[in-house]
Amino acid sequence: MRKLLVAFLVTLLTLAIFAQKHGGRLIIAMETEPVGLDPHLVTAFASHRVLENVYDGLLRYGENLQLIPNIAEEFQVVDPYTIVFKIREDVKFHDGTPLTVEDVLFSFERILNPDTKSPAAAFYQDVESIKAIGDNKIEFKLKKPMASALLPNFAGVNSSIVSKKFVESGKNLQLETNGTGPFYLAEYVQGNYIVLKKNPHYFVKDQPYLDEIKIVFMPEEVSRVSALRNGDVDIAKINEPLNVRQFPEGRFKIYRSPVLSYYLIGINTTRKPFDDPRVRNALNYAINREAIIKTVAFNEGVVTGPLSPMVQPWALLPKDFDEYTYNPAKAKQLLAQAGYPNGFEFEIVTSQRYNFDKVAQVIQAQLAEVGVRAKINLVEWGIFIKRWRESDFDAFISMNSGSIEPDIQFYRTFHSKGSTNVFRYSNPRVDELLELGRSTVDTTKRKEIYDELQRLLVKESPIIFLYSANQIFVSNASVEGFKLLPNESLIFLRETYKK
Amino acid sequence: MNRTLKKFLKRPLNLVSLSLIVLFLIVAILPSTFAPHSPYAMDYDAILEGPSLKHPFGTDQFGRDIFSRCIYGLQKSVIIAFSSIMFASFVGTILGLTGGYYGRIWDLLIMRLCDGLFAFPSLILALFIVALFGSNLVNLIVAIGIVYVPIFARTVRGTALSLRETLFVKASKVIGKSDVKIMLTDVLPNLSSVLIVTFTTNLSTAFLTEASLGFLGLSVPPPEPTLGGLVSQGTAFLLSAPWISLFPGSVVALVVFALNVLGDGLRDVLDPRNR
Amino acid sequence: MSFAYLLRRILTSIPTVFFVVFVVFIAIHLVPGDVVDMMLGTQNYLTEEQIDQLYKQYGLDKPLIVQFGVWLKNLFTLNFGTSLRTGRRVIDLILDRFPVTLELSVLSMFFATVIGIPLGIVAAIKKNSFVDGLVRVIGLIGLSSPSFWVGAILIVIFSGTFKGFNIFGYVQLREDFLRNLQVMFLPSLTLGLMLSAQIMRMTRSSMLDVLQQEYIRTAKAKGVSYSRLITKHALKNALIPIVTLSGIQLGYLLAGTIVIENMFALPGLGRLLLQAVNERDYPVIQFVVMFIAILIVVLNILIDFVYTLIDPRVELR
Repeated sequence: MRKLLVAFLVTLLTLAIFAQKHGGRLIIAMETEPVGLDPHLVTAFASHRVLENVYDGLLRYGENLQLIPNIAEEFQVVDPYTIVFKIREDVKFHDGTPLTVEDVLFSFERILNPDTKSPAAAFYQDVESIKAIGDNKIEFKLKKPMASALLPNFAGVNSSIVSKKFVESGKNLQLETNGTGPFYLAEYVQGNYIVLKKNPHYFVKDQPYLDEIKIVFMPEEVSRVSALRNGDVDIAKINEPLNVRQFPEGRFKIYRSPVLSYYLIGINTTRKPFDDPRVRNALNYAINREAIIKTVAFNEGVVTGPLSPMVQPWALLPKDFDEYTYNPAKAKQLLAQAGYPNGFEFEIVTSQRYNFDKVAQVIQAQLAEVGVRAKINLVEWGIFIKRWRESDFDAFISMNSGSIEPDIQFYRTFHSKGSTNVFRYSNPRVDELLELGRSTVDTTKRKEIYDELQRLLVKESPIIFLYSANQIFVSNASVEGFKLLPNESLIFLRETYKK
Repeated sequence: MNRTLKKFLKRPLNLVSLSLIVLFLIVAILPSTFAPHSPYAMDYDAILEGPSLKHPFGTDQFGRDIFSRCIYGLQKSVIIAFSSIMFASFVGTILGLTGGYYGRIWDLLIMRLCDGLFAFPSLILALFIVALFGSNLVNLIVAIGIVYVPIFARTVRGTALSLRETLFVKASKVIGKSDVKIMLTDVLPNLSSVLIVTFTTNLSTAFLTEASLGFLGLSVPPPEPTLGGLVSQGTAFLLSAPWISLFPGSVVALVVFALNVLGDGLRDVLDPRNR
Repeated sequence: MSFAYLLRRILTSIPTVFFVVFVVFIAIHLVPGDVVDMMLGTQNYLTEEQIDQLYKQYGLDKPLIVQFGVWLKNLFTLNFGTSLRTGRRVIDLILDRFPVTLELSVLSMFFATVIGIPLGIVAAIKKNSFVDGLVRVIGLIGLSSPSFWVGAILIVIFSGTFKGFNIFGYVQLREDFLRNLQVMFLPSLTLGLMLSAQIMRMTRSSMLDVLQQEYIRTAKAKGVSYSRLITKHALKNALIPIVTLSGIQLGYLLAGTIVIENMFALPGLGRLLLQAVNERDYPVIQFVVMFIAILIVVLNILIDFVYTLIDPRVELR
C-alpha cells in the first residue's frame, strides 16, 4: 500500500515538474537575421542559429563539444577509411513523412553535387563513396585515412538531412523548410522576426520544452540591452561586455562562455616587408594581447595560440611560446636584425564589425611604440571581402571560426593550396605536416605532427593569432536550462524552459 | 552695414551664439592649445573612467581622454562641415545663377538634376561615394557637399529668376554689360543675404550628416576623432558609460544650435523687409 | 490643377526617376564586392567554375548596359525581380515593409507639426520676448542633435521606466492596434522632434512676415478680433512656405528612417535598403531606389496641389 502511495506521489511530482517545464514562449533578440533557409547553402551566422534547431544532422554536439549521436543512433569508425552510421527508425520530418536512409543518401548527394554549390562540399572532397547498407545503415568510404578528422563535419548545419521527397517535389529550400528538428519554422516576417514552434513528433521524447520561440532581429546593441531591461524580450545576445553591468543579479541571469572563433591579423606574405618571416615574427613581441582583451573585450576573452586553449589535447598554450610575451624591446631588436631598425609603414585593412576596428586601433598604437606605423583603412564589409579574396592587402584584421579538430582548423587556411589561404603562404613543411596530420590515425603521432605545425605557424606567423572573445547572453530570471556552446551554437534551446 | 551689425548684436541670443561660435572656431583652429592630452594616447590603466579633474569628459574604453578627442573632433567636423557647404554653395550658386539667368533648356536640365539629387537618399549617396573612392577627407567633403548642392541651386535660382526681371538688371543689359559681368556684379550681391542664411542653416545639418555617416562607419578612419564618430561609438555604451557619447553629442548640439541661432539672427536683420 | 499640367509634370518627372535609378545602378555595380563575394564571405568554398556558373545564373556576366536593359524589360512586364540573397520576390518585400516606413513618416510629420506649428505661432506672436527665446531654444535642441543619438537617449530613458510599455516588437496596425502605436511612439517622436524644430522656425518666420503685411494691419485697424486674425489670415498664408518645407523634409525623413528603423528594429524600407546595399542584393536595391524616387516625385506633385488648395491665387500652368 505504502509503495503504491509513493509511486503515486512520485508520478504526481513528475507530472507537476513536467507540466511546469513544458510550454511557454521565449522571445530572443539576435543581432542579424538569416540569409536564406537552405541548410546546405547557408553560411550566415544567423541562418545557422535558426536552422540548427529546425534541421538535424547525423551527429550533434553535446554540452562539452563532444560528438554524440543524433539522426544516427550509433556511429562507428570501422577503420580509418570507413565510417558507418546506423540511422534511427523513429525520425519524422515536420510534414509527417518518416526519415529513411534514402533521405540521408539524397542529402549527401545534394551536398556533393557541384550544381548545388554547397559550402560543405569541400569538407567531403576526400569521400570516395557513400552507400546504404540495408535499410538503416549508411557507410562512408574515404580516400584518405581521415575518418576521425571528418566526424565533426557531420554535426554541422551544412550537413543536415533533408527530405528527398520534399526537395524533389520542387520546393525551394531557401524559402520553405521541412526538417526533423525540435522546432519547425512557423512564421518568418522578413526584417522583423521568426517564430519557431514545438515539433510534436520530435524523436527525443521529452523535448523541446518550449512551445514557441520568437527570434527578433535587433541590429543595435543599445536596442537589445534596452529591450531586455524593458521586458520586450526574454533573452538577448550582448556584444559589449560592459553592458552586462546593466543587469542586476536576481532579476537577470548572465551566461558567458569562451568561444572557438578568434581574432587575427592576417598578413600578405608576398608583400614587403612581410615576405621576411623574421619581420612577422617580430611583430608578435610588439603586441600586448592582454591589453587588447582588457580594452576591447573588457577582460571577457582569452589569449589564443593557433588552437583555442580549450581544444585539448591538441592545443599548445600561449605560455608555451616566447612570442606571446609582450616585449617591445625585443621586437625592436628583431626588426633591426631583419633590416628595419627604424620600423616601417604598412596598411591594415579592416571593417567596422565585431570590434575589428577597435582591435586595429589598439594594435596601431602598440606597433607605433616600436616604430612600426600602421595606417588603418576602414572599409565597408563588402569591399573588405573583395580585398580579402583577392589578397589585396598588406595586412587585415578579422575573425576566423575555430574548430575542435586541428585538420579543420588548419588545412584550408595554411595549405599552400588551401581555399582560405589568402595570405599566399607557402611552406612545404607545413603542407607536409597538414597532409600527414590528415592521414594519421594514431593520436600520439598526430599530436606530434600538430605540435610541430603550431610551432612553425607561430614562428613564421603568416597570421598573428590574437584572442578569442567570450560570448555573452543575458536573460531575465524566468529562463531556465539555457546553455551556451563554444562553437556559438544555440542548440540547447531545446532544453530551455520558462519558470 | 554697421547699423545691421549693431541691430544684430542687440539681441542677447545672437550675442551668445556668436560668442559660442567664435569660441568653437578658436578651439578648432588651435586644438593643441586647449587639449590637455593627445587624442590618440591610450592608457590601459584609465579605461572607462567617468569625468574627473584629469579627464574632464572621462575616458573611453582605451583610456583616451574624451575631452581632447572632442576638441580635435571639433576641428575635424568643422573642417568637414565647412568645406562641404562651401563646396555645395560654390557649385550650387554657379548652377542656380546660370540656370536662373539663362533659363530655358539649361535651367530645365539643372532643375531636373537637382530633383534627381533630392530624390536620392543622402546616406546612400554618401555610402556610394565613400565606398567607391575611399573614406578620406576630400571624398567625405565631396560626398556630403553633393547632397547640399541642390538646396543652394534651388534657392539661388529662385532669386536669380526674379532678379533677372528687375529694372536695373535690364538696364545693365541695355547698356551692354556682358552676361557674366551682370551675374557677378548685379545679381550676385543681391543674393548675399539669402546665401548667408542658407549657408548657416545647412552648415548645421552638415554636422549632423557627418554624424550619421560616422554612425554607419563611413566617416574618417580611426583613430581620427570626429564628433559624429565619437557620438556613434559611444551609443553602444549609453547605459554603462554615458559620458562617451553624451559629451560629444552635447558639443554637436551646441555647435548646431549656435549656428542655427546665428542663421536666424542674420536673416532677421538682413531681411530687406525689416530695413 | 489642370489635367494637362498633371500630365506634363508626370512626363517630365520620368527622366528624373530614370536618371536616379540609372546612376544608382552604375554606382552599386562599380562598388567593389558583388553579391557572389558576399555569399562566399571569408569562406571561399566554390571553385572558379562554380563561381562562373553563379554569375551566369544571376545574369551578372553580361555588360552593365545589357543588365540594365534586362532589368528595364522585366519592369515593363511587371517582373520586379527576386532577392538574390533570400530568394523572395522583391515586390513582396516592398509591400511588407513600405507600410512601416509610411506609418513612421506620417506619425513623425504628425509630431513635427503638432509640436512645431503651435510653438512657431507662439514665438511669432510674442516676438523678441523671453517666451520667444525659450521656445526657439527648445525647438533648436531638437534640430541640433543627431537623430540616432536622440533616439538612443529616448530608448534608454524609457526602457524599464514604464511597466507594460513596449518599446520594441513591431506588429502591424491591423494585428494589434495598441501595440503598434506603442512601438511606433518613440521612433516617430525622435524623428518628429528633429523635424518639428525646422517647422517651428519656418512657422515663426513666415508668420512674422505675414503679420507685418499691410492687409493684416488694416484688418487689425478695422477691429477684426486677434484670434481670428491669426487663424484665418496669417496662418493660411504662412502655410505655403511650411508646406514647401515639408516637401524638403521628405529627404531628411528618408535618410532619418534608415538610422531610426535600425535603432528601433522596425522592419521598414530604409532598413531594407541598407541591408540590401550591404549584401549587394541588386534587384532589391534597384527597385527600392526606384520606388522611393517615384514616391518623392508623387509627393512633390501632391504638395504643389496642396498649394492650390491653400491659396486659390496660385495657378499651376
